[in-house]
Amino acid sequence: MSWDIVHLDLKQAPTILDAGASPVYVVYWWGDLPLGAHAYAPEELPLRRDRLLALAAGFLAEQVASRSPGFGGPPLARYDGQALMQPPLAQVRDLRVTSALLSELERPVHPDADELSVIVCTRDRPRPLRTCLNALSVQNAPPGEILVVDNSSGRTAASVCLDFPRVRYLHEPSPGLSRARNCGVAASTRPLVAFTDDDVEVHERWSGEIVRAFQASDVESVTGLVIPATLDSEAQRVFQMEMGGFGASCLPTRFGQVFFEETRHRGTQVWHVGAGANMAFRRRLFERIGGFDERLGAGAAGCSEDSEIWYRILATGGDCLYEPRAVVFHHHREDWHGLKRQMRAYMRGHVAALVVQHDRYRHRGNLHRILVQLPRYFMRAGLDAVRNAKPYRGRVLLEEIRGWLGGVLFLFNPMWRSRPAVPTIAPPNEQGS
Amino acid sequence: MPYRIMDLELSRPLTGFTLASHETGYALVVRWDGRIIGFLMKETPEGFRMEEDELRELLERELALRILNVKLEGSLADRWPATPVLEPPSLTIAICTKDRAARLARLLDSLEAVRGQSAFRALEILVVDNASVDPDTREVAESRTDVCYRFEPKTGLDFARNMALETATGDLIAYLDDDVVVDRGWLSGLYRVWADCPDAGGYSGLVLPYRLDTPAQIRFEREGGFGRGFERIHHRGAQLGNPLHPVGAGVVGAGANMCFRRDLLLALGGFDEALDTGAPLPGGGDLDIFYRVLRSGHAIVYEPSYAVFHEHRETMAQLRRQYWSWGLGFMAFLEKARRTDPAMRRRQDAMVSWWFRDKLISLAGALSALDLRRAGDLAAELRGAIQGLLGEYDRSVARSRRIREQVA
Repeated sequence: MSWDIVHLDLKQAPTILDAGASPVYVVYWWGDLPLGAHAYAPEELPLRRDRLLALAAGFLAEQVASRSPGFGGPPLARYDGQALMQPPLAQVRDLRVTSALLSELERPVHPDADELSVIVCTRDRPRPLRTCLNALSVQNAPPGEILVVDNSSGRTAASVCLDFPRVRYLHEPSPGLSRARNCGVAASTRPLVAFTDDDVEVHERWSGEIVRAFQASDVESVTGLVIPATLDSEAQRVFQMEMGGFGASCLPTRFGQVFFEETRHRGTQVWHVGAGANMAFRRRLFERIGGFDERLGAGAAGCSEDSEIWYRILATGGDCLYEPRAVVFHHHREDWHGLKRQMRAYMRGHVAALVVQHDRYRHRGNLHRILVQLPRYFMRAGLDAVRNAKPYRGRVLLEEIRGWLGGVLFLFNPMWRSRPAVPTIAPPNEQGS
Repeated sequence: MPYRIMDLELSRPLTGFTLASHETGYALVVRWDGRIIGFLMKETPEGFRMEEDELRELLERELALRILNVKLEGSLADRWPATPVLEPPSLTIAICTKDRAARLARLLDSLEAVRGQSAFRALEILVVDNASVDPDTREVAESRTDVCYRFEPKTGLDFARNMALETATGDLIAYLDDDVVVDRGWLSGLYRVWADCPDAGGYSGLVLPYRLDTPAQIRFEREGGFGRGFERIHHRGAQLGNPLHPVGAGVVGAGANMCFRRDLLLALGGFDEALDTGAPLPGGGDLDIFYRVLRSGHAIVYEPSYAVFHEHRETMAQLRRQYWSWGLGFMAFLEKARRTDPAMRRRQDAMVSWWFRDKLISLAGALSALDLRRAGDLAAELRGAIQGLLGEYDRSVARSRRIREQVA
């Protein structure tokens, strides 16, 4: 049975959320500010005034504590990526809840996004790409440029791009998502570079919010919220509900030196910073530390080319900001086969990235994660699958273990480990067009 | 040995505190504007001094967000369209008791302190004396004004609860065990949850410890006690992602503090008198009624400000017996549910196997951590559960029939 996805704006003070025939995944908003999501069986509905009001109060309390002036800015990340909420008691006690305070939370700012390059890497998926480019074409703050990097051998994206006059088409014939991303970065001309995927539709305020987040802080990278676009198939639901999707936190969270130093000895859990489907960087970061590692990512080891960049940022003293105001909608894999392949690739890529991170900085925590924490995680997940009788979790777990074994092979491959794979990126004004 | 239990009102200025030299821990009942928003307990060295700064940091970490939440709820209420005001229902407070006159008097005192604020249309306090041997119970009840006294000669908590159900006059009936006292927010909390959710079939409330004087009481509370949290929870007949709900009816609340629509309970046939028959099967009746209310399509709403303080078991032997009785009562309830509600058969079976897997894994954990006391408690619970599965419900049905015949 397919689930409905309902978007409910609590700012409109709704008094009822009615039941349908199937379960619903409700995404709660305060105007354009995402607040959180919850899934309900039909029997759990309707929700009436008191529950909607209580939900709004709970969500807004967190938003006020992490965004309102006087509360010290975005909370810092805990080891597991969760925002550490500890609002000062005096502020809380004295706070007067006014309309101004609440409307400030979803302040409709439309900054100019001309300084933003958006890069979409695609490979043989012309139809989703068209949907993706449609969404990028109707941004409140249109980005300065949109680059499509076609990673297919047959240039399958070229004809789609012809229908979007503002899109610059690039072709990177050698396969690998990292290579495609680097090709896009090298060709970009703006000081900020954002990535999204071809299976994503961005929110109309997405590019504006990314620029705003960079303007408001000194971070090197901004990531945002990934909301499922559909939950029609069981594979999509397992990915979102059981595997945590691409994260669902709606609190701005700062990943900085505290996070890094506290967790380095046990392998910093950098993947909590965000998702490659919704991430942005200052271009000069790439000029400083190079591009994406071409041993990693889809088409190579599997994934984690995104989190490895965040690791390099943190290891070289920079900060990252997760800002869920920047929203995208992602189409998860629909079929079991695709999900299983994806989970295997994720785990393989994850282990490969840990090897790379270890080799680059000699941080032994990364090996600890491969050899101690991940086996422990497999045991716990296996126990959970048995204890709570979840056969599908067991199936996914087997794929993860296979992926882990594939990743561990990299550990014993000195050729792979010593291969130079991070290209340098030149400043935009020094290259020809 | 004892922990000091303190009330801490956060809307007033904060001050540190010093424990007495024999006190080995503290438990804070934290309030904002009188409303309970949290409960924090911790073991400390004897005579521990809690400095103001340390206390503030603890509260900021644990509860500051909760205060914001309460404040926002208050101010958002003005933005939301108001719901039409219904006529308040009448309420019967039913206390079932047996040979515990002193505790009954204590509970009646606490009710006396809150009944003045009642917003209900009418309020009745009903003491059901469940075959007490000594006459003190009757004397305590009859010495009070506005307290009705009934005698139920059939021994068994659910006989008494049904007697209360039949003689009560209220639209709602709130059951209290005799080993609790009510919080000052108890009655207004119950009224508020009714006003917000008038179509629910029942309400359950927070149960906090009344004393933490003995190792058994501290241990029980540390293992989770009766705590169901500090936010309102709506329970219905299904819950997404929980394939065992509503068979695990214990999450709904505790029999020591629960309230129902009286017409609904009458329509459902009241409590099952074969459960809670005293010593041989001292539990399960609350699980059974929660389950049947949820299965009838009605919601049960848990409201934390509808709170009582419960006198936990004093000795380790009593506590171990309680674990045993939970295993026993739960399985007796499941056995009954299997027979009367075959539509849920798969969930009931899944619950039995989940429960045993869960307890066995916990037992293995306790043994490997060399926590023999915990292992013993788990073993007692498992022993009770096995006994419960081996025909305890049938024995209990026979027992309750004998009790009925003896009295007749």
